[in-house]
Amino acid sequence: MPEFDFLASLPAISVEIGLTILAIVLVFLESYLHKDNRRNIAYVAAVSLAFLAVAPVIWAPTPETTGLYWGGMIRYDAFGGIFKMMILLAASLVTLMSIDDKGVHRKTEFHIVIVVATLGASLLVSAADLIMLFVALETLSVPMYILAAYNRTDRESAESGIKYFLFGSFASALLLYGFSLLYGFTGTTNLQGIAVALTQGGDLVAVLVAMVLVIAGFGFKISAVPFHFWTPDVYHGAPTPVTGFLSVASKAASFAILVRFLLGVFPDAVVIEGQTVQQFWVAFVAVASVASMTFGNIMALRQSNIKRLLAYSSIAQAGYALIGVAALQGGATLNEGVNLGIELGISAVAFYMFMYTFSNLAIFAGIIVVTKHVGSEEIRDYAGLQRRNPWLALALAIGILSLAGIPPAAGFFGKFFLFQAAVESSLAALAIIGVLNSIIALYYYLVVIKVMYVDQGPDDDKPFALSTPYAWALGLSSIVVLLLGTIAVTPIIDWAREGANALAQAVSVMVAGM
Amino acid sequence: MIQFDFSTIAFFVFAVLTLGGALGVVTNRNLFRGTIWLMVSLFGVAGLYVLLSAPFLAAVQVLVYIGAIAILFTFAVMLTRSLTRLNVRYTRLWPSALGAVLLFAMLVIGVIWPVFGGNELYNQPISDVVRTTTDLGVALVSGEGYVLPFEVASILLTGAMIGAIVIARDADEEEMEQ
Amino acid sequence: MVPLSWYLIVSAALFSIGVFGVLSRRNGVAVLMGIELMLNAVNINLVAFWRYNTTIASVTEPVPSELSGMVFAAFMFVVAAAEVAVGLAIIITVYRNWRSVIPEETDTLRG
Repeated sequence: MPEFDFLASLPAISVEIGLTILAIVLVFLESYLHKDNRRNIAYVAAVSLAFLAVAPVIWAPTPETTGLYWGGMIRYDAFGGIFKMMILLAASLVTLMSIDDKGVHRKTEFHIVIVVATLGASLLVSAADLIMLFVALETLSVPMYILAAYNRTDRESAESGIKYFLFGSFASALLLYGFSLLYGFTGTTNLQGIAVALTQGGDLVAVLVAMVLVIAGFGFKISAVPFHFWTPDVYHGAPTPVTGFLSVASKAASFAILVRFLLGVFPDAVVIEGQTVQQFWVAFVAVASVASMTFGNIMALRQSNIKRLLAYSSIAQAGYALIGVAALQGGATLNEGVNLGIELGISAVAFYMFMYTFSNLAIFAGIIVVTKHVGSEEIRDYAGLQRRNPWLALALAIGILSLAGIPPAAGFFGKFFLFQAAVESSLAALAIIGVLNSIIALYYYLVVIKVMYVDQGPDDDKPFALSTPYAWALGLSSIVVLLLGTIAVTPIIDWAREGANALAQAVSVMVAGM
Repeated sequence: MIQFDFSTIAFFVFAVLTLGGALGVVTNRNLFRGTIWLMVSLFGVAGLYVLLSAPFLAAVQVLVYIGAIAILFTFAVMLTRSLTRLNVRYTRLWPSALGAVLLFAMLVIGVIWPVFGGNELYNQPISDVVRTTTDLGVALVSGEGYVLPFEVASILLTGAMIGAIVIARDADEEEMEQ
Repeated sequence: MVPLSWYLIVSAALFSIGVFGVLSRRNGVAVLMGIELMLNAVNINLVAFWRYNTTIASVTEPVPSELSGMVFAAFMFVVAAAEVAVGLAIIITVYRNWRSVIPEETDTLRG
């Protein structure tokens, strides 16, 4: 075991250190600021989170410094960096959005809890050990249970909190039983150590039972069918900024760790009783992907509440992203010693979650503004929004077009990279189902845009203005969506490819050492 | 052949406490009695830890689980139901029971027996080398050990405490003004 | 000494009883108790695997990673405590709003 070097280990947790300091500062501000100035605390939190989002770039890992840190608890690499950045930016936008939301009382405590959840998410994406993974996952989940129930005078929020909490802790318990079995089979909690030990033999059925338990736990977090049933109620009932955070940060972090876990523990070199374990999880993920896309899109067609529509849409979006996870089985082509299919799959998932974060947050920021001025979450009450505030309608439309996958919004490239990865990994059928589903989804996304732009509303002649934080949140997220769909595609996908390459290299080095 | 020495008898006693208590928790229609059975079950688990040479965890089990968590449950039951309405109904009783039995059968036949049952290696602990509580403490705070999850867990506890207080208490004067 | 598989069978039984409790109950507090039983089953697994782990004997100098089962179990306590505290706070909020802690009775969200 190498000597522990404290200073060299610090860059690996730069973001987490920053978040801890921020949480402490917020506690002090809440105690010392006069209550008329407390609104500024939200700005402090939002700006600090946005600044921290630069940390993964400033302290970016080089090929020499990439590796395991803190006793093998976390892996410091570019793959983690890109996810940390999107999680921090999402947290920053959610903080901005919560400023005028009626569902969020005791705002400073709200920000502190959001910061703790962000800390959990940001550690989760780089976890390399079952213990770290579990602690980080709970540090993300437990604050989310609180936040879902945060509006304590609202019955629906309380209901959403208890449903999320009970389903979530049940899923955690299943996941943990799977972890304990993996530890028992291999005698180690290190992800790579588990893979190495599994190659020395084992019992196929037993390993598959553990794997299914773990995938069920992750499936809950990313709301993939058949573990999705909590999603519509929780998205509907939770305060809107919380729904936004839940649908992007929590989901992105869970996808990152799903990719890391499946690639790290069950790479194609793990062969038990003559069968690769990989073929089982690829089949499992592919089925979940098709089921999530189809179910999510079909159910979304009949929704009249915008938050429920987005809940089903988010199930469908999880299905699309799972195409990229299934593509981790790899194809025939090798690129500098790394399987091209794996590399494309990882980078497609990273890019997709990046664009999904901003598209969804643009829409959720818009929903909060509309709820405040129109007092309704029903889609029919969005009629004539374009005449009441054209910028708001435009930002919402950009977000929706991006989710629908229409250029120039970012969603088009997001889907393109996913389908490309699927084809490269000889899963063309999955790509075709994905394309067909995107066509179904067009209908319900475009209906919302039509309602905003074409339909006549009762209050068409009463325009309203955007308050500053919402103007920033809507403007920034929709501009990022447009940039990601046009000139920023190349740098971001290159970064994602770099992260993918680092992760895939690590896996192939480990496989070669077996 | 297994010898019926002291530890074997102790194992059976604690296993019966654990599982009997657990059955008491899930079959009792009276929730308050359920929490008492929960304590019995948790105590049995603590006994199993002692047999597994983990006395520190056994002590924590008694302090945290029985002393804090089970008491919290008691509070929750008392706060949310008047004593006359403690009984709760079941739904899907038989399908759930069938599911649980199938799960148990799958775990034993599919996982435990093939992997650990017939294996001589697992008939007893290889050695009497047992790490002490000191080693556990050092592992928890050393840089090449588990200091990172340890610190994160403390942040989680703080965050959970703040959040739990905010959602559980009544609105204060400041909010009433708004 | 008792073989490892006996501990695992106790743990599997406890886990299944917990699952039964979660699936069959409607009351939030009762469901949470079922989840606690499941977590305890996980903990028995971890400690038992740690005790019967074949790698411990070969190491003379203690290194942190050989304690992973015990450390994992210790973190389970911490997280379970946080989870229960938050869970009961949520249950009390629900009760205040609905005078009931049965998820299905608090059912307005549909569609």
